[in-house]
Amino acid sequence: MKIALFSDIHANLPALEAFFKDVESRNTDAIYCLGDLVGYNIWPNEVIDEIRKRGIPTIAGNYDWGIGRSSDDCGCAYKTDEEKAMGKVSISFTNEIVKDEQRNYLRTLPAHIRLEYQLNEEKFNVLLVHGSPRKVNEYLFEDRDEKSMLRIMTDANADIMCFGHTHQPYHRILNSGTDGNDHFRHAINIGSVGKPKDKDPRGGYVILTINPDSALNNKDSIQVEFVRFDYDIEKAAKAVEDSPLPDGYAEMLRKG
Amino acid sequence: MRIAIFSDIHANLPAFEEMLADMDSRPVDAVYCLGDLVGYNVWPNHIIAEMQRRKIPCIAGNHDVKVDGLVTTDESLKEPGKKYAYHLIDEPGRKYLLTLPRHIRLEHNINAKPLNIVLAHGSTRSIDEYVLADTDEAYVLELMAEANADVLCVGHSHKPYYRAIIDEHGNKKHIINTGSVGKPKDGNPKGCYALLIIEPNASSGNGALLAVEFIRFDYDIAKAARAIEDSPLPNEFAEMLWQAK
Repeated sequence: MKIALFSDIHANLPALEAFFKDVESRNTDAIYCLGDLVGYNIWPNEVIDEIRKRGIPTIAGNYDWGIGRSSDDCGCAYKTDEEKAMGKVSISFTNEIVKDEQRNYLRTLPAHIRLEYQLNEEKFNVLLVHGSPRKVNEYLFEDRDEKSMLRIMTDANADIMCFGHTHQPYHRILNSGTDGNDHFRHAINIGSVGKPKDKDPRGGYVILTINPDSALNNKDSIQVEFVRFDYDIEKAAKAVEDSPLPDGYAEMLRKG
Repeated sequence: MRIAIFSDIHANLPAFEEMLADMDSRPVDAVYCLGDLVGYNVWPNHIIAEMQRRKIPCIAGNHDVKVDGLVTTDESLKEPGKKYAYHLIDEPGRKYLLTLPRHIRLEHNINAKPLNIVLAHGSTRSIDEYVLADTDEAYVLELMAEANADVLCVGHSHKPYYRAIIDEHGNKKHIINTGSVGKPKDGNPKGCYALLIIEPNASSGNGALLAVEFIRFDYDIAKAARAIEDSPLPNEFAEMLWQAK
């Protein structure tokens, strides 16, 4: 079973269209979206409609949460005053252009999706969240302390945890086994389709492979592939510049 | 949010195609399948290929896991009987079926109230347990408490229903059997699937409102029945499609 996982599109329609084209060429068996459909660009309604049209199971990101409730707070952790000012423009612009039907869709998205597996008499869970299981806007970066990461996963009963939010993809394998019995847990950040932040401006997503012999004591029996794809970055950046959104968001798209 | 949920296709391609056409004609935001793609008819590989093409999230049914350890030879493909339906399934199809999850949980929080929708084939306890319209209320509540489910969506019995039970804390628990796309058993030979509609509760500002619709659709039963009769499968499987039992 090959499962495509994508998130953090952030109203970037050219990136979403390129993603669909890429994923269609790769024979995946299922597809899930981990949220943040809107914010920072001009196509929130179009992005929502493309995902709905395909019936893709989707969870709410922090930005979706905010817009779904017509809130002026996206739960984003902006650091500087400049970032805060830019963020304010983005959320009020997004609230202005998102239509009722699309807002209603965002409002009724689930917070988490859990896939409960039973393979060869062994049970394990694949948990899909946007930020962390505890909070939609918690950042789980790659350098998080191993103990803390394991605690988050065990508390949420997650053997394979997939999330987005930081826009920086990684795969960490952690062993929570005791007494010499391996219990490998996988923490997978799937990156961002429409607003990468890892210095690579291409869009990114993940293909997770579960095999009939996948087992928690064999870390290589579960595979994670990071896919990057080109898209029309200039079109997405220009759209930002030609809109009331701060030009800084266009520059971020060009630089990743 | 409008969620289409279907189940128990049982290798019936004419029924599956009609269901997809019907579903495509409606505004639907998400789609899930509750398993039993195979068994009882001759098109398991077509069904699996279309599920993969559309990437529809699906859980395993009791018939889907019958390919576990199944050894198929040229001889087994000639042998009359119901096992033919499983021997027909190609290797990539078997691998797909064997790596389907058992349950999918959708954990909502609408208007500050948790709402867990749990999808299972038979029940959350067993892939081949029947949760019926008249299954004892106390038993169903116990099952749902154990699974931490507010809404339980199941298939397996091929008999669609929606029931709501109030638990000891005054919470409404919803149980939906989505019926069967390709092998109805409720006396109505038309195919069946369900739409689950979730809206934030605007009047109380608390929690969500749920509505369930069952959709029945016509399909070419004669074609599906003839395919059985022209195969090593037992002819009574064809009769069951006409009788819906």
